[in-house]
Amino acid sequence: MMNLKNPVPDDALVEAIQAGDRNAAACLYHRHIDRVHRICYRIVSDPMQVQDCVQEVWLKVFRKLGRFRCDRPFTAWLNTVTANTAIDHYRKWIRHRKHGQASGIDPNTVANDENPGNHQLDGDLVQARIRAALETISVNQRTAFVLRYYEEMPIADIAQIIGCSQGAVRTHIRRSLLALRTKLAGKIDI
Amino acid sequence: MTKARISLEEFKALFPDGFESQEELLGEYNAFVSTFEQLDEATVPELSPTQKDEIFRQSWQGRAQTSPWILTLLDFFRQPALTFALGIVIGCILMSLVLNDPIHLSETAVANESLEIEHTRYSRTYKGKIVADFYSELENPRVVLERAGEAEPPQQTVQGTLDNGEIYVVWNQ
Repeated sequence: MMNLKNPVPDDALVEAIQAGDRNAAACLYHRHIDRVHRICYRIVSDPMQVQDCVQEVWLKVFRKLGRFRCDRPFTAWLNTVTANTAIDHYRKWIRHRKHGQASGIDPNTVANDENPGNHQLDGDLVQARIRAALETISVNQRTAFVLRYYEEMPIADIAQIIGCSQGAVRTHIRRSLLALRTKLAGKIDI
Repeated sequence: MTKARISLEEFKALFPDGFESQEELLGEYNAFVSTFEQLDEATVPELSPTQKDEIFRQSWQGRAQTSPWILTLLDFFRQPALTFALGIVIGCILMSLVLNDPIHLSETAVANESLEIEHTRYSRTYKGKIVADFYSELENPRVVLERAGEAEPPQQTVQGTLDNGEIYVVWNQ
């Protein structure tokens, strides 16, 4: 079904899926799964939750695809489903998370000459500190930030996805930038 | 990182009046670019082919657990504004039925002439031979000619008590 020179457009795949074509669903899925996973990973924050979140996104996509109308790009619709599902997933997870249940790596641990064994954890430390920094901003701010700078979406599209004004998106981004700069300033130079 | 994630123009637009000089602006901009470089160190691990296949399999299988029309119906009533409006409409209809549709007795309703008629404001009560012949077992029987609604045909109701319980018998004329 796939042809690299003339790939089947999303709209055609959507119509085939609406008619029950499993191969078309697989094709559409593999075309977009990496981006969906990337967005979920950066919004949900906890790596253990990401796979569940990604599955929830695709479950919604396949369930709602029957009512999807091709008057807007499938990618835009998928981005909206992904971002909103990730935001909901994060909020549910944060409500149920037990306080003090930290990851196995202490972000304040640093490698030094007296403790050379910690050098192997440096990469994980960087990840943990950045994750901790991202977690300090609100999930809406994080979503706006991720969609703008990692997915390179225009402000207008982000506003539509999050369901707020463009001014509110700019405020989210401004605040997230300031918070991240403060949190990360000089912290991960190992 | 091959290019700055945030351009200087976008940075100026986000912080339009925060800097007194061009040098200060550039210094702050570079600090933010440095922050992005740090963030780029947080790579996203890819899903393995097995994980991808499993997610697809479960999502595709799980899509048909609820029939689409049920979902459509649920989504329809999940809109708060719509549900609120629907509640008001239903409430208005019920109030209208209760307040504006009292039972009107037809003045043209004709009763058996052999019956004695007692008029009240809302009903007419008939007493006579028919009551005695057919409903002799009832205590204090009486026949009432009434209408269930303005457009309804008149109907005769026999009212009385039997074994200390009230009896209402309705039949069409």
